[in-house]
Amino acid sequence: MDTLANVAHGFGVALLPVNLLYCFIGVFIGTLVGVLPGIGPISAMSLLLPVTLSGTPESGIIMMAGIYYGSMYGGSTTSILVNIPGEAASVVTCIDGHQMAKQGRAGPALGISAFGSFIAGTFALIALMLVAPKLASVAIAFGPAEYFSLMVLGLVVLTFLTQGSMPKALLMACIGVVLGLIGLDSITAQPRLTFGRMELIDGIGLVPVVMGLFGVAEVLLNTEQAIKRDIINARITQLLPTKEDWKASAGPVGRGTLLGFFLGILPGGGAVVASFASYALEKRLSKTPERFGHGAIEGVAGPESANNAAAGGAFIPLMTLGIPPNVVMALLLGAFVIHGLQPGPLLITQNPGLFWGIVASMYIGNVMLLVLNLPMIGMWVQLLKLPYNILFPLIILFTILGVYCSSNNVFDVYVMIAFGIIGYFMRKLGYEPAPLVLAFVLGPMMENNLRKSLILSQGDLWTFVQRPISAVCLAFAMALLIAPLLPSLRKKRELVALDEGA
Amino acid sequence: MTNQTNKLRLNNSELWGGLIGLALGGFVIWSGMKLKLGTINDPGSGYVLFYTGILMCVFAGSIIVSALTEGGPTLASRWENVRWSKPLLLIGCLVAFSVALEPLGFLLSSIPLMLLLLRLIDPVRWTLAIPIAVLVPTGMWWVLKRLLLIQLPSGLFGIG
Repeated sequence: MDTLANVAHGFGVALLPVNLLYCFIGVFIGTLVGVLPGIGPISAMSLLLPVTLSGTPESGIIMMAGIYYGSMYGGSTTSILVNIPGEAASVVTCIDGHQMAKQGRAGPALGISAFGSFIAGTFALIALMLVAPKLASVAIAFGPAEYFSLMVLGLVVLTFLTQGSMPKALLMACIGVVLGLIGLDSITAQPRLTFGRMELIDGIGLVPVVMGLFGVAEVLLNTEQAIKRDIINARITQLLPTKEDWKASAGPVGRGTLLGFFLGILPGGGAVVASFASYALEKRLSKTPERFGHGAIEGVAGPESANNAAAGGAFIPLMTLGIPPNVVMALLLGAFVIHGLQPGPLLITQNPGLFWGIVASMYIGNVMLLVLNLPMIGMWVQLLKLPYNILFPLIILFTILGVYCSSNNVFDVYVMIAFGIIGYFMRKLGYEPAPLVLAFVLGPMMENNLRKSLILSQGDLWTFVQRPISAVCLAFAMALLIAPLLPSLRKKRELVALDEGA
Repeated sequence: MTNQTNKLRLNNSELWGGLIGLALGGFVIWSGMKLKLGTINDPGSGYVLFYTGILMCVFAGSIIVSALTEGGPTLASRWENVRWSKPLLLIGCLVAFSVALEPLGFLLSSIPLMLLLLRLIDPVRWTLAIPIAVLVPTGMWWVLKRLLLIQLPSGLFGIG
C-alpha cells in the first residue's frame, strides 16, 4: 500500500509540466545520441551536466536519466539500419538486426527492439520500485568497511569485464584513484598533487575528464578511418512484428529482461555486459543456433530487452547505496552532487519526492520513447544521413562549450583537450578508459571510507573480514582477480570482455 | 593490426606502456611519502596515494614482464592501415585552439578551429564549410552570451 502511495506521489512530481518537458528533452537527446554513431550517452550526459544546474534537482536528474535509457532505444536504430552501433550496448544488435534489415525486415527488427525495450524498461522500473526501498533499509546498517569493500568489488568487476589485459585495466583504475585524490584532502585539508596551481585545489572536474576520454578521444579514433555507412534505403514499413515474430521473441524478451536487470544491479556490470550475455544465452538455448548471425529475431529481441532492463537495474546501487555501478551512473551521481544531494540509503526516506518522481518519470519516458522510436522512425533515419565530417567538428565545438560552461573556467578546456589526447593514445595502446573514470569517481569515497574504517577499528585490518558483507565482497573481488590466472577462466573472460568506452 | 612478437625489442608498445605506468607509480609513491603516510591507526594524506602507487608499480611490472616474455605489437603496428595523420592534425588543431583561446577569445579562436576541422580531415566543400564555421560558433556564442548570460572568453581584443 505504501508503495502505491509513493508511486502516486512520484507521478504527481513527474507529471508537473516542467518535469514532463525535461523528461521529453532527455529521452529525445538520448535517442539522438543513441542514433548518431560517434557520440554516446556518456558524452551527452557530461555535456548537459551543467544544464541541470538551471532547474530543480528533480528536473535535472529526470533529464539525465532520460538520456541514458533513451540512448539504449536509439542505439538499436543505427545498429539495425546502418550496421554501426550507436552506442556500446547495441553492438550485438548489429549481428542479426542488420541482417534482418538486409532481408527487408527492418520494420519488425525495429519494432521488436522498441517493444522489447519497453517491456524490459517497464519491468526494471517495477522491480526498482519494489527492491530499492528494501535494499535502502538494509544499507542503513552499512559501515565504512562495507562501503569500501563494495567499491573495491565494483572496480574489480569492471576491470574484469574490460577488454584487454587485466593488469592494464587495474593500472587504469589505480590512475583513476590517484586523479580523484588530486586537490584538498577531505580530512586534513592538505593540498595533494596540485603542483602549486590554484585551479587544482578543488581537484580535477569529472566533466572535462569524461569529455576528454570519451568525447574527444572517440572523435580522434573515428577520424583514423573514413566511416563507411551501409544505410538501408528501402522504405520502412510494417513496424509491428507478426504473430510468429512475437512467438519467437517472447522467451528472449523475458529472459533478457531478467538477466539484464540482475546484471545491471551488479557493480561494474551494466547494459553492455547484459546485451552480450543475453545474445550468448539465446544462441545457446536455441534449437537452431545456426540462424544466429543470419537475421534471427531472437538475436535482436533478447539483447535489446537486456540492455534496457540493465539500464533500469543500474539505478539500484546508486539510489540505495550511493555507489555508481558504471560510468553513466557516476555522471548521474555528479548531477546529484551538483544539487547538494547525496544518493544513498537515506535518499528515499529524506527525499521521497525526488526518488519516486525519478522512478515515475522513467515510466513516462518509456512511453515517450515508444512513440519517438516507432512512428517517428523516418526522422531518425534522415539524421543518420548526416555525414561524419560535418558532425565531428560540431561534437568538438559542443564539448568545448559544455566543459567551459560547467565551470566558467578555461583551465577545464585545457584539461579536456589533454585528457582527449591521453585517451586517444591510451586506446591505441589497449588501455580502456572506463575503469579510470569509475575509479576517479569512487577514489575519494574509497579513501574516505578506508581511513574511517581504520580509525574506527584502531588500525585493525581484520575489520574488513570480520564484517560479513565486507568479507563476501572482498572474497568475490579476490576470486575475480585470481580468475584470469587460470587458463580456462581466462578464455571465458576474453569472451565476455567488453569495450565499455565505445 | 599485425600482432608482431618483439620480446626484447625497444619498439614493443606493451613494454613502453608498462614503463610509463611504472614511472607514474614511482612518482605516486614519492608523492605519498612526501605528504606523510601517518600510521595505520590514523592514516595521513599520503597513505592511500603511497599504497596505490605500489599497486601501480605491481601492475605495470606485470605488464612489463608479460611484454618481455610474450612480446607484443610494435608501436608502428598500432597505427598500421589507418589514416594516422588525421588524428595528428586534429590534435594539432586542438592544441593551437587551446593556446589561442585566452588571448583571442572564443569567437576568434573557434571560427578558425571549425574551418580547419571541416577542411583538413575529410574536406567539406568551401561553400558549406565557411557558413558552418561562421554560423555555428556565432550562434552558440549568441545563445550562451545573450540568452543564458554565460560569459565566454573575449580575449585581448574584447571580441565575443
